[in-house]
Amino acid sequence: MPLIAAFVATIAGWVNKKYCFAVAALGLTGALTSSVGLLSYVLTHGPVQYRLGGWAPPFGIAYQIDPLNALILVVIAAVALLNLLGTQRSVALEFSEKIGAFYTLYLLFVVGMLGIVSTGDAFNLFVLLEIASITGYALIGMGRDRAPLATLNYIFMGTIGASFYLLGVGYLYLITGSLNMADIAAILPQIYASKVVLFAFIFCMAGLFMKMAFFPVHGWLPNAYAYAPSAAAGLIAPLTTKVMVYAMVRIALFVFKPEFTFEQMGIGEPLVWAAVAAIVMGSLLALAQRQLKKMLAYVIVAEVGYMVGGFWLGNRAGISGAVLHIVNDAAMTLVVFMAAGNLFYRLKGDSFGALKGVFREMPVSMAAFVVGALSIIGVPPTCGFFSKWYLISGAIEAGHYGFVAALLFSSLVNAVLFFRIIEIGYFEPFTHANHHGHHQPPVRRFREVPMSMLVPLLVAAGSLILLGVFSGDLVTKVIHLALPGQIT
Amino acid sequence: MRIFGLLTVLLCGGLLIYHTADFPAWGDPASPASTHLSPYYIEHSIDDTMVPNLVTAVLADYRSYDTMFETVVVFAAGIACFFLLRAAKSKTPESMLYRHIPTGITLRIEKGSKTPPDSADFERIDSVWVPYDLIIKITCRLLVPFIQLFALYVVAHGHHSPGGGFQGGVIFGAALILFALTHNLSNSLKRINEKTSALFAASGVLVYAGTGILCLLLGANFLDYSALAPLLGGDPKMAHSHGILIVEIGVAIAVMAVMVWIYYNLASRGRHDEGL
Repeated sequence: MPLIAAFVATIAGWVNKKYCFAVAALGLTGALTSSVGLLSYVLTHGPVQYRLGGWAPPFGIAYQIDPLNALILVVIAAVALLNLLGTQRSVALEFSEKIGAFYTLYLLFVVGMLGIVSTGDAFNLFVLLEIASITGYALIGMGRDRAPLATLNYIFMGTIGASFYLLGVGYLYLITGSLNMADIAAILPQIYASKVVLFAFIFCMAGLFMKMAFFPVHGWLPNAYAYAPSAAAGLIAPLTTKVMVYAMVRIALFVFKPEFTFEQMGIGEPLVWAAVAAIVMGSLLALAQRQLKKMLAYVIVAEVGYMVGGFWLGNRAGISGAVLHIVNDAAMTLVVFMAAGNLFYRLKGDSFGALKGVFREMPVSMAAFVVGALSIIGVPPTCGFFSKWYLISGAIEAGHYGFVAALLFSSLVNAVLFFRIIEIGYFEPFTHANHHGHHQPPVRRFREVPMSMLVPLLVAAGSLILLGVFSGDLVTKVIHLALPGQIT
Repeated sequence: MRIFGLLTVLLCGGLLIYHTADFPAWGDPASPASTHLSPYYIEHSIDDTMVPNLVTAVLADYRSYDTMFETVVVFAAGIACFFLLRAAKSKTPESMLYRHIPTGITLRIEKGSKTPPDSADFERIDSVWVPYDLIIKITCRLLVPFIQLFALYVVAHGHHSPGGGFQGGVIFGAALILFALTHNLSNSLKRINEKTSALFAASGVLVYAGTGILCLLLGANFLDYSALAPLLGGDPKMAHSHGILIVEIGVAIAVMAVMVWIYYNLASRGRHDEGL
């Protein structure tokens, strides 16, 4: 029980004090070190339980840490910290008057995410989901152009999703009398035949699908992420959808047992097809965009399809691939969104036209962007290749060739997408439109963003390659430990 | 498209009705919800926490961690409102209205002109000022103290009867908003300014989380109030009761301040110059 204590306390403590960048960075560093410590502790000693308030689980709330969520905790803390360090200047630029409020919301968002991942209580998950959502709405709402409208859409969809989840938890309480995940899991098998259990499952899943922007209900995501302030997009885009996928894994495998989720429900097949649709549509819509961030947002929609599809294949390779992809996709999304944020910081725009000749201007940021892009396409040394490989082998094992085709198709489209950007950035001459609209002669000078924005970006880009190199270890030593034994 | 929507709604509604067939009967004492955890709470809460009101015991002790985050949600809502609405710099308006109280004459002062000195004779009024609201003002002046007293009672009495931090905080906040409604924004800002309300909101959450951390420092788990026994005097059971009171007060402070803070931002569109 020991480590989380400090960890929870740090977070809870610094949320309220007089905030500034230093406190935030310190707090997140603390969170990162303790979650890394926690991961190694869990790997050597097995799952940890922390009883909040000192009450035994079914009566009180407990945090339950196993290798799966310890891994995700590390990812969240690392993403939040890197993004925080990398966006310090753009935050100062965009919210000069409200830095305190911005960092408070930022930290609260991270607290919500960390809490969702570590909690072992179905209702506590909802409460933390609310914290993460409310702060997320506020952070996105401060963006440019149509951000308020996009946020309003997000609020509607997000609230409906959260209500569905709450309703599902309510049903579970109705039928089991308990809110603790392990306790529910112990009671449920006797009453799997009940229709209420069936609907509780459907409601929980439907709510989480909305929150993670799974294809037919993805409408809120592209605008919200495209118009969000860079610093917020770099935090929310990598985390929200991934953490929701984690919540889906948690509910489907650890609250409902795998036998129920995969065999009794019989919805695996249609959901994988829905994921195929998500991947294809996300890729095609991304292809139609003329704005960098919006294109990236549609790529996320497709990536959500990867993870959901991989999970619902229901075999070990598929689920490992999905979990590995949660980690990898968080890192990849972080890299491309941070790079896009850097470009935006200098160019004041992210339409493709603005990117002409950008390689000459900002070579380092673009190099990191290319690494992220290669990873999303799935080129071997980077991590994207490995999770895709697991997903594809899972799909072949399950005999689901539609999913294989969708994955390959999406890789192809991603290649087209990113090489188009690279081509524009590398080969097209740079023109600088001034305020009167006519073009000045090409100015080609080195205008890289400050070091404080570059270093975190490069660290993140490097992590993509590291994750790729060590992904075998990650899967055999961490993820396989985390999955229940029944899954073969 | 509308027909499609209607069909979806009908389908979902039908499914919702269909599965209620398997619900436990209404108020069934043998239903899982009343046989699994509830008996423990009913039988043990008074022994564990010395709190007669078992809803409060569950809310602020057994599931205290949830309640802490509910308070954080309230705080987040307040700060989100501030973040989105608050205008960075207030523009000096084109003209300002001042009233000379003894004579009741209203002066209109253009931008850049000299403003009257701060004295008891002049008060600045809103552009939508309504001349005489004596009855409303007096009624509220009579009501507000009683509402506030009742709010404190609700906070303190959560142990024995329905009530607690959220309810009490809302009532207290409502009293302050009533005051702001019957007078005007600048008047209420003079009593509780923005900084104070933000500070109260944060410190309310801090009281709650701080209690948890204090328990942690005293060697127990986060929010395990029995660790507070040596500080508060009395036995660990009583400490649970006191711990609940402390966090309820924190909740009340946070809720009250956030209500007022949100009201300020909404009423003046974030400019904090005039409004009800």
